[in-house]
Amino acid sequence: MLEILIDLLALAVGAGFVGALSGLGGGVFIVPALVIFAHMPMKVAVGASLISVVATSAGASVAFVRDGWTNLKVAMVLECATVTGAVIGAYLAGVVPNVVLELLFAAMMLQSAYFTVTKRGDDILTKGDPLAERLELAGEVPDLSGNLVHYEVVKVPQGGALMVVAGLMSGMLGIGSGALKVMAMDYIMHLPLKVSSATSNFMIGVTAGAGALVFLARGDVATTIAAPVAIGVTAGALIGSRVLPRVRVESLRAAFVIILLLIAAEMGWRALSRI
Amino acid sequence: MAKQEEDRILRRWTPILLRSILVTAMVVLAAGLVMTYTFAPRYYVERYQAVQHGQMIGKEKFGLLLDRIRQGNPHAVLTVGLFILTLVPLARVAFCFILFIRERDYTYVVLTAYVLAGLIVGALAGAAG
Repeated sequence: MLEILIDLLALAVGAGFVGALSGLGGGVFIVPALVIFAHMPMKVAVGASLISVVATSAGASVAFVRDGWTNLKVAMVLECATVTGAVIGAYLAGVVPNVVLELLFAAMMLQSAYFTVTKRGDDILTKGDPLAERLELAGEVPDLSGNLVHYEVVKVPQGGALMVVAGLMSGMLGIGSGALKVMAMDYIMHLPLKVSSATSNFMIGVTAGAGALVFLARGDVATTIAAPVAIGVTAGALIGSRVLPRVRVESLRAAFVIILLLIAAEMGWRALSRI
Repeated sequence: MAKQEEDRILRRWTPILLRSILVTAMVVLAAGLVMTYTFAPRYYVERYQAVQHGQMIGKEKFGLLLDRIRQGNPHAVLTVGLFILTLVPLARVAFCFILFIRERDYTYVVLTAYVLAGLIVGALAGAAG
């Protein structure tokens, strides 16, 4: 038993560590790790990953919420969309064949790789649209010199529409869909990038939690796998967040993209070879 | 109460709530793994191999789960640890819902009620399906 446990913990710590360093979360890496190295069926990997994503989101959110980076109201508005998508996605994961899930996972890895390459800077707006103003979504963020800069929010329905897709993918594939969430908030709703990342991280807990509850209630979570994976991914994410300030993430970006492309190729090939 | 006060309460108490449930879940999961290693290592290996072949235990009745915890069943302790972990988002949204009711911020009462309902409906649908 000890050997299996050490293998699972090592995979999970590695996935959590790389997930924290890349900003993509542990789910993106633990699902393929369980499928490829531990020879787990896709649905077992998805169930275990959803649980671990809840844990890492909670752990990482603590500092972001306390320090004011998370826009709590934006999160609460958009969670309506992600929860809807996640519950539908988790239901679909129970009926959709593993081959389809693996192909979708490969597609999401390509999207994450694209996002990692094309991450852009802030485009802060000083005038929001009426819906965002009514929902009081504007916020403040410190600039490089520590002064607070006011930002406004636009296009809430469009951002919400992409959040439904993010929730759907999260529930089906066991990932946080952080890359899609940040894209929606940064590109469409014009939130500052760091606020988008912190808010996405906060929302991921609820999105993955919605999927995890469906999986758990349905009896589709393998306790023997999910328990060590949750502990390992959380520990890995914690170590990653401590190391993060001391490494130049920009220099690691090419490595992350290569890893994501390799995962996409492997998962895609596994699926296609069984058709 | 002003919007700033609402924000202050959220930023103070949300991290405490998240961290408390997370630590509790991790302690229960770690205890469950130690118990499994001590009392039922062969069962763990058998379950691991069965899962690799897609054989799941399936739904577990809550009443039976409590009985098995009283008997010191390691697998039941692990299951409870995972349930506690999924309480993190539920508790956080429920906390916001109650705060917004207290603040009479009805737009956000409706929004958080929708999210809460989504989480509960998802769990019930999973249990039924």
